[in-house]
Amino acid sequence: MIDFHKVEKHYGHFHVLKSIDLHVDEGEVVVVVGPSGSGKSTMLRCINRLETITSGGLTVNGVAVNDKKTDINKVRRDIGMVFQHFNLYPHKKVIDNITLAPVKVLGVSKTEAEKTAMYYLEKVGIADKAQAYPSQLSGGQQQRVAIARGLAMKPKIMLFDEPTSALDPEMVGEVLDVMRTLAKEGMTMVVVTHEMGFAREVADRVIFMDQGQIVEEAAPEQFFASPREERTRTFLSRVLSH
Amino acid sequence: MDFAGAYSADNLKFLLDGLYVTLIVAFTAIILSFLLGCIIGVVRYAKVPVLSQISFVFVELIRNLPLLLIIFFMRFALPEVGIKLGLMTAAIAALTIFEGAMISEIVRGGLTSVDKGQIEAGRSSGLTGVQTLWHIVLPQGLRRMVPPLVSQFISLLKDTSLAVIISLAELMHNAGIIIGHGYNYTIPTLLLVALIYFTVNYLLSVLSKRLETKNA
Repeated sequence: MIDFHKVEKHYGHFHVLKSIDLHVDEGEVVVVVGPSGSGKSTMLRCINRLETITSGGLTVNGVAVNDKKTDINKVRRDIGMVFQHFNLYPHKKVIDNITLAPVKVLGVSKTEAEKTAMYYLEKVGIADKAQAYPSQLSGGQQQRVAIARGLAMKPKIMLFDEPTSALDPEMVGEVLDVMRTLAKEGMTMVVVTHEMGFAREVADRVIFMDQGQIVEEAAPEQFFASPREERTRTFLSRVLSH
Repeated sequence: MDFAGAYSADNLKFLLDGLYVTLIVAFTAIILSFLLGCIIGVVRYAKVPVLSQISFVFVELIRNLPLLLIIFFMRFALPEVGIKLGLMTAAIAALTIFEGAMISEIVRGGLTSVDKGQIEAGRSSGLTGVQTLWHIVLPQGLRRMVPPLVSQFISLLKDTSLAVIISLAELMHNAGIIIGHGYNYTIPTLLLVALIYFTVNYLLSVLSKRLETKNA
């Protein structure tokens, strides 16, 4: 479903992504971990072309993302994205945050879009906040709205870019719960996170990145119990020791 | 100081006539310069090729010229190349061009101040660049532009008095005539005119405060 083939990315002299090969199957949950600055967010953002790649091949559903002839807006319809800082539209009510793209991009009627929006708000457990503005919600609630906003486009893939990193600790759980449910329902997910518990429990595969490279990829049991690479072991001992 | 003489019914009516012209010129120019400023601001924000470069030169050129020179240009230079503008049109045109250049920078600044994450959220959901600008960036940017825009509009309203130089019968011009009519009209007339300018502009800023709190 998502295919990286020898993807390279440079920011000027800085080599951000080094020969990335990655394949994500339909229904798979891939969790990407690694130290900050390792390129994991950049890699994620390449999938919907928020970042461009310098060379190599990257296809989503068989469509070359970086081809000039590709209508990127069409590709993006099928890829939901959840950001670290939620990025809800502060001037729109929760419900209007969710209906904007379905109405404007998919051409769904307003009533239909609102019905869908309410369905997903129900699903993430905050249907009562539909008429509120984002600033009236807690961080955890905002992030759940952001997830509902992504889902309302009925995407084939959901991307999560450190979805719990900006949350107060007591709100991390409610967001992870929603993501866990989503994973169980068979959504294809790529998740960049520092939540090792989530990776261990929900991931089909864990990817460890360091200095722009995929250092190791393995099923979570193996990844956490017996990592092959020295760099992975060092990283894990740092993040799991506290 | 001859207050009674200066504030005769005829004089007051004459001042009101001037105020009327001032308000017409100011509000027409406010609307037109806002439109011009929005267009140029958006073109420069979105870095529309060619248009953006032309806009840059235009804004830099106009911003660095005195408004008085632009008014002169409209009134005295254009007729020499066959473009004849009425007094009021010349004043409105000059103000629109000058203030439009200023406002375009306010608009551009307001748009640029909107968090990049907002654009990413819009674009990643499949909205086009134009849709993202219209539904997400512009509404948020506009709110932040209100205070500097109102300052600019107040400047504009006061700058209409510069049209006295081309004998447009606006408030300042009519005040000058009244002052010339009596021995001791200067202070009473100027006090009244000051009060009028102050009141109109103060109302404008009160209105903007309302707008800000409503939108906050």
